[in-house]
Amino acid sequence: MKQIKTVLILLVTFVSISCEDTYLSPSLTTGINADSYFANDSEIEAGVLNIYDGIQGVNALQITNNDLNHGVQIEFYVTEMRSDNTETKSNEGEAAQFEFFDIRSTNGIVADYYRSYYNVIFRANLVLDNLTNASASKAPTYEGEAKFLRAYAYFNLVRLFGDIPYVDKLISPLDTETAFTRVASTQIYDLIVDDLQTAVANLSDGGPNDRASKAAAEGLLAKVFLTLGRYSEAQTLLESVMDNSRGFGLETNFKDIFYNEGNNEVLFAIGYLADTRNDSQNFSTEWLNAVGRTSGVNYVSLDAKTALDTYGGNRTLYSYREDQAQAGKYQVIKYLPDGDTDLGIAPTSSDPRSAGNDWIVLRYADILLMHVEAIMAGGASTTSSNAIVSFQQVRTRAGITTPVTSITADELLLERRVELAFENQRFFDIVRFGKANDIFTAFSAANGLGYTSTDLLLPIPQIEIGLSNGLLSQNPGY
Amino acid sequence: MKLKTKLTIVLILLVNICVFAQTTYTISGVVLAESDKSPLPGVTIRIANTNTGTQTDFDGEYSIKVKSGDVLEFTYLGYGAKTVKITDQQTLNIILSEESSLLDEIVITGYGTQKKSHLTGAISKVKNETLDQIGVARVDDALVGQVSGVNIQATEGEAGSAPTIRIRGTGSINGNSGPLIVVDGVPVDEDFLGSLDMNNIESFEILKDAASSAIYGSRGGNGVVLITTKSGKEGNTRVSYNMLTGFKTAHQSDAYYTSMADAVALEQEATGNLSDKTRVKQLLGVDNNWQDIIFDGGAFTDHSLSLGGGTKKTKYNAAFNYLNDEGVLLSDNFERTSVNLKIDHKLTKKFTIGLSANPSFTTQKRFDGSTHDILRQPSWLPVYLDENTIQFVNRFRDGGKYANAKIGDYAIQRMFDDYDLVAGAPSMGSGTDISNTSNTNPAAKILERDRVIQRNKFLGSIYAKYKIASGLTFRSKASMNYQYRRETRYQGVLSNRNGASASRLDSTVTKTIRWVVDNTLTYTKEIGKNEVNAVIGNSFENRKQTWNTIQGSVFENDLSPTIDKAASITNQDAYEWKRTLLSFFGRLNYAYDNKYLASFSYRRDGSSVFGPNTKYGDFAAASVGWNVAKEDFLKDSDVINRLKFRVSYGVTGNNDFRTGNQLVDNYPYLAILSNNTTGISGGSQNLVVNPLNVPNPDLTWERQIEFNPGLDFALLNNRISGSVDYYTRTSDQLLLYNPISSTTGFSNALVNLGEVQNSGVELELRTRNIIKDKFKWTTTLIGSKNKNELTDFADSNGQIQNVDSKRAAEWINLEGNPISSFYGWVVDKEIPLEFVNNPYHPIGASAQDVYVKDLNGDGIIDDDDKTILGNPYPDLVWSFANDFKIGNFDFTFMFQGSHGAEVRNMGDQYIFNHFNSAQDFNTSTTPDQQFIRQKIFTNSIIQDASYIALRNLNVGYNFTDKTLSKLKISNARVFVSAQNLFYITADGYTGFNPESINNTSATTYGYQRAGSPVFSTMSLGLNVQF
Repeated sequence: MKQIKTVLILLVTFVSISCEDTYLSPSLTTGINADSYFANDSEIEAGVLNIYDGIQGVNALQITNNDLNHGVQIEFYVTEMRSDNTETKSNEGEAAQFEFFDIRSTNGIVADYYRSYYNVIFRANLVLDNLTNASASKAPTYEGEAKFLRAYAYFNLVRLFGDIPYVDKLISPLDTETAFTRVASTQIYDLIVDDLQTAVANLSDGGPNDRASKAAAEGLLAKVFLTLGRYSEAQTLLESVMDNSRGFGLETNFKDIFYNEGNNEVLFAIGYLADTRNDSQNFSTEWLNAVGRTSGVNYVSLDAKTALDTYGGNRTLYSYREDQAQAGKYQVIKYLPDGDTDLGIAPTSSDPRSAGNDWIVLRYADILLMHVEAIMAGGASTTSSNAIVSFQQVRTRAGITTPVTSITADELLLERRVELAFENQRFFDIVRFGKANDIFTAFSAANGLGYTSTDLLLPIPQIEIGLSNGLLSQNPGY
Repeated sequence: MKLKTKLTIVLILLVNICVFAQTTYTISGVVLAESDKSPLPGVTIRIANTNTGTQTDFDGEYSIKVKSGDVLEFTYLGYGAKTVKITDQQTLNIILSEESSLLDEIVITGYGTQKKSHLTGAISKVKNETLDQIGVARVDDALVGQVSGVNIQATEGEAGSAPTIRIRGTGSINGNSGPLIVVDGVPVDEDFLGSLDMNNIESFEILKDAASSAIYGSRGGNGVVLITTKSGKEGNTRVSYNMLTGFKTAHQSDAYYTSMADAVALEQEATGNLSDKTRVKQLLGVDNNWQDIIFDGGAFTDHSLSLGGGTKKTKYNAAFNYLNDEGVLLSDNFERTSVNLKIDHKLTKKFTIGLSANPSFTTQKRFDGSTHDILRQPSWLPVYLDENTIQFVNRFRDGGKYANAKIGDYAIQRMFDDYDLVAGAPSMGSGTDISNTSNTNPAAKILERDRVIQRNKFLGSIYAKYKIASGLTFRSKASMNYQYRRETRYQGVLSNRNGASASRLDSTVTKTIRWVVDNTLTYTKEIGKNEVNAVIGNSFENRKQTWNTIQGSVFENDLSPTIDKAASITNQDAYEWKRTLLSFFGRLNYAYDNKYLASFSYRRDGSSVFGPNTKYGDFAAASVGWNVAKEDFLKDSDVINRLKFRVSYGVTGNNDFRTGNQLVDNYPYLAILSNNTTGISGGSQNLVVNPLNVPNPDLTWERQIEFNPGLDFALLNNRISGSVDYYTRTSDQLLLYNPISSTTGFSNALVNLGEVQNSGVELELRTRNIIKDKFKWTTTLIGSKNKNELTDFADSNGQIQNVDSKRAAEWINLEGNPISSFYGWVVDKEIPLEFVNNPYHPIGASAQDVYVKDLNGDGIIDDDDKTILGNPYPDLVWSFANDFKIGNFDFTFMFQGSHGAEVRNMGDQYIFNHFNSAQDFNTSTTPDQQFIRQKIFTNSIIQDASYIALRNLNVGYNFTDKTLSKLKISNARVFVSAQNLFYITADGYTGFNPESINNTSATTYGYQRAGSPVFSTMSLGLNVQF
C-alpha cells in the first residue's frame, strides 16, 4: 500500500506541475502576437508598409495559391483590357471575358481585385486603429499615408464597382450588415475626399516615390475632383504640385520614365524588386508570349496601335512592339522584364517571371494633362494659355512640337491615351470624359464585341453575393 | 503478452515442485491441434523453472534435452497450455486444444488489453499472417479489404505515396478525417506508416466506434489504428529472412490515347480528305502513346532479416529491412531502410523495463509532372528530334528560337509550326501550324527535374512496469519521435520553355520532434464470477516543428544543382510551432460470469490549440454486452457457439484542422501577425507585418457522437463466425475554415459550425469450409455500407466551392446531401461536329462545350438549372477472400470492390483538350446557343468510380524436406504473389485509376486530374527461418 501511495503522489505531482498554464499555452516563436504589437513607431511603420504591400500583391509565379491577393498586378485586366487599348493574344479563357465585355459574376480576377483592394482598406484601418500608440511627431504621417492608401483603394473600387460596402474601421466577420450593405458612391467619395485632404495636410514631399507624399495626395485628390466635376478645386491642387519649388518635372527621354526608376516625373509608384519572392511582380511577363505561367494577356489592340502610330510621336517606339514569335500581334514594352536589345532596354531581372519594374500610379505628365482637363472644366474645348502650356510640355517631350491654339476634349483624351497608354488610365479616362458609350459602342461594333452600357460597372463577385444571404445586390446586367 | 502472463502463472504454480538431479536425454515428439490434428509450428516448449526451451518446427516436431522429473510446458497462442511431467518417455506427442477457439484471443485496446469475448465496442483485429507477402511497399496498402468499415484508397499512385484512409466515412470538413495511428502505444503522424516494415508487424487493431476510441479522446474521432510490432519470444534465437521481389506494370486508359492512324481514319471517313494540319502531322511519321513513355513500370525488392529470442528474464527482437520500389511512373522511386529493436527485461519479479528503437530512412523520388498535362500531348510529337523529324524544324520562327536545333534535342510542338506542304520545307510565315501549345516536351518536364523527399525518422521509447500488488500494475512510458524531412526540387535548364532563366532549386527542411509520456495504473481482479479491469492514467504530449525553406533561381547549367550555384536566392522562409496536449483518462471494464459485460471510459484532454475558455474537452463512452451463448440454454449448443449482443455510445473529438497556414492551425485563438514578408520602401526591402487570421478565442473541439449496436456470432462448431455492426456517427461543431466577406480583410475564418452524419452497416463473415489434415479452405467476406449526409450547415447551407477560379467546376454543401456533392448542369447532348470549328485538330480533342438541360423549363439556362450530380463517397466497399491449404501448398486470393462513388474526371478536360479554343463551336451557325455550356460545369466529366479488383493472389509452397533440418533451417517457404491482376472499372470511366483523387480537401473532394495509374504487381517471395 505504501507503494501505491508513492505512485499516486508521483502521479499527482506530475499532474500539478504540468497543469501550469504555460504548458498548455506555448507562446508564438515565429509570427507575432498582435495583442502586444503596434506599440511604438517602428511597429506601426511595419503596419504602414503592409498597406503598400497589399497593393503590391503577391507574385502569382511564386505562390500558386489562387486565393492570394494579387493587388495591382491584375489591375490591367479590369481597366486596360476593358477598354479599347488591349486584349488577350488568344481571345480565350477567363481573361478574355474582359475584352469581350462578357464578364461573368464568377470571374476569379474580378473577385481577386475586389478582395485585394478591400484587404488594402483593412490594412489601412488596422494602422488607423493603432494610431494612438504612435509618437506625436510620427502619428500625422502614418495617418496621412494610411488615409492616402485607403482613398486610393476606394477610388479604384468605387469607379469599378459603383456603390460598395463602406468599411472605415476594423469589422468582425459577424458584422455582415457592414460587409454586405452597398452604400451610395457619393458617400464613398466623401470618405475619399476626406481621407485625401487629411493626407495632403499631414504629408510632405521629399521621400521616396514609392511612399505617399503631399504631392501624390494632391495629384490623386485632383483626379478625384475631376471625376466629381469639382474642377477649380482640382486646378488649385494641380498648380500647387506644378510649382517649380516642388521639384517635379518631365523626364527628358520617354523611355527613362519606365527604366530609370526613382526619376522625378513619378509622383507615386508601387515598388517592386527583381528576383525576390515577396517583392517581385509577374505582370510584366504575362504580357509577353509563352514566358510565364499565364502569358499573352494585355496585348495591344490594333485600335491602340493605330492611335500610337498616328499620334504617339517618339513615345510609340517605347510603348509597343510586334511580338517576335507571332507576327501581327503587339506587346506592351513599358515594363519589359527581359529587356530588348534593339531598344537598348536591359533586362530588369534574371528570371523574367520575377520582374522588378515598378508600377507607376501617378506621374507628372498625368498632372499636366489633368491640369488641362481642370481648366477645360467639363467643356468641349479650351483656349486657355495655361492649359496650352501644360499640354505642349507633354507633346514637346514626345517630339510633337507643332503649336496648338486650342484643345478639344477629344484631343485631350487622345493625348492622354497615347501618353499614358497601358498605364491603367484609359478606361477611367473614357468614363470620366463621358465618352464611354460613344467610344465603346463603336469599338464593340467594329470588333464584334458585346458592349452594353451596364458593362461600365464590374459585377459584384458572386462569392460575396453567395455569402450575403440575399443582403448584397448585383449590378444590373449580370 | 498473453504468453508471458501464462508463463508467469504456470511458473508460480510450479515453484514448489522439487527437482532431482538426473541424467539428461533427448525427448522428441509432435504437437498437434485437437480440432483437425494438424501440426502446430512455433509452439513454445519449456522446462519449468529453467531458462531451457525450444519451439516446434513447421511440422510441429520438437526435440529437447530433459531429465526425468522435469516438467515440460507447452504453450501456444489461442490454445490451452499443457504441462507434462517427464518420466523417462522417449517420445511425447501432445495435442493442444483450441481454447474456446478464438474467443479468448487478446485484443489490444487503448492503454490496455481485453479478451475478445469481453469486447463491447467495435474493434477489428488483423493479424499479420500473410500480409507481409503482399507486394506493396506500405503497410496501409496491405490493409486494403482486410477490415470492414475501413476504406483505403490509393488516391495517389506514386511509389511510396500514402493512401487515404477513412474509417466509417468522412466526418469532417476542414478537420482531419484520417484515423489516429498508434505504434506500440505511441501516437505517430499518419506519415509514419510509410516508414514501417510490414515484416516486423505483429498485428493491427482498428478501433472503429466511439466507445473504443474515446480513450483517445480528442484524437479518436476518426477511429484509431493500433499497430503492434513484433516482440522477442522466449527460446533460442530464431533468425528469419523474408524476401520479396517483383515487377509492377500500369493499367492504361484506351480513351487517353488517340493514335495518328485513328485520327487520320476518322477525318478521312468524315470529310473524304485530310486537312493540311493532318498531312503535316503524318509527315513527321511519329505515333507515340505517351502512356507507354511515362508509365514505364518498375521492379521492387524487399528484404527483411530479423532475430528474436530470449530467456525468461530478457526477450529481444531485432529486425532490419530494406525496400526499393521503382514505381510504375517514369522516374519515381521509393527506398526504405529501417531497423527495429525491442528489448524487454525483468529486473525482478515485479519490475520490468523495456526499450525500443526504430530508426528509418526513406528516400522518395517523385514523378515531378502531371499525367494530365503530359497525356494531352498529341501522338505525333516525338520525344527527341531524329534524322527525319529534324527536317521539319522551323529555324526561322519565334525569332529564330529553334535555329540551332539538332538531333537528340527535345522536340517542342512549336518547332514544327509554319510548314509549307507544297514546298515540302519549313516556311517563313505562310505555312501550316500544327502546334497547340508552346510548352516544352512533356518528357523534358519529367526527366529534367529532380524532386526528392528524404525522411529520416527515429521512434524510440522506454518503459518501466511495476507490479505493486496482485492485479495492480503501474506503468510509465516515455517516447520520442523525431522526424527530419527534406524535400528538394530542382527544375533544370531544359525543363521549361524559358530555359536557364526558369531553372530553380527549392529545398525545404522540416524537423518535428514529439514527446509522449504516459503513466497508467491498471487493476485487474476476479472475485468469484466478477471480473474487473480498470485503468487510470495521464498523458503528456508535446510536439514541436521547425520548417525552413530556401529557393535559388537561375542556374547556368545542370552540372551542379546546389544552392550556391543559383544566380540569386529568391526565397527564404521559416517558421516553428509547438503544440501540447495534457490528458487524464480512465476506463472500467466489468464482466459478470463472462455473460454480462460493461465498459465505461472517460478522457479529459487539454490542448494548446484552443484558447483559455475552451482548452479542455471531455470525452466519455459507455458500452454493454451480453454473451448469450454463455447462458445455460445455449451453453452446450453445437449450433450456436458464440453469440454476443453489444451496444456502445460515446463521444470523441477532433482538434486537428488545416487552414493552409501552420501557425493558424496551432494558435487559432491568437491574432497572429506574420513577419516573414517584406515590403518596398525607398526601393529596398523592409519588414512588414500582416494579420494572418481572424482570431477565434472560443474555437472548440469538433465532436463525434457515435451509436453502435453490434452482434458477434459463431455457429456450427465455429464453422461460421462473424460480426454485424450498425452505426450512426454524428459529427457536430465542425471545425470549419468558413468563407467570409472579403471586406473584413480576410477570406476565411475558423468557426465551429454544422453537422455531418455517417451511418452504415458492416459485416464480417468467416467460414471454415473444409478442415482436413491435408486440405483446408476458409472464406472471408467483408462488406461495409456507408451513407454520408450533411445534416446542418447553418448560414453556410448551399455553399458552393471550387478548386480554383480557372477551373471553376462546382461542389455544393447542401443539407440533406453528402458533403461536397458535385454540382452543375446536366448534359443534354453533344454539339454535332459540323458546328465545331476544328473538329480534327488537335487530334483526340473534343469540344469544350455541350448542350445542357433546361431543368426548370423556363427557356433559359441559369443557376436554377444546376443540380447535384453525384458524390465521391462509395456506398459499398467489399472484399471476398479465400484461403486454401492443400498439402504443402497454400493458395489465397482476394477480390475487392467499391461501388457508388463518382469522380469529377478532369483528366478528360485536359487530355481531350477541352480548354482549347480551336474546338469552339461556330457562333454564327450553331443553333440554340443559349443552351450551350462548358463541359466542366456539367456532369459530362462526372464518372462512376466503381471498381472490382483481384487485389491479391498468392500461391505458396512449404518445404518439409528433412534435409532442411540438416541445414538448420526450421521453416522454408516460397511463394508467388500478384496484386490487381485484373481491375475492372465502370462503364463510362475513361481514366486509369478510379481511386485517384487529386485534391483531398473535404469541400472539393473527388477531383481527379488523371493522376497515376492502377498497377499490377507480380512478385516472387521467400521466407526462411533458422
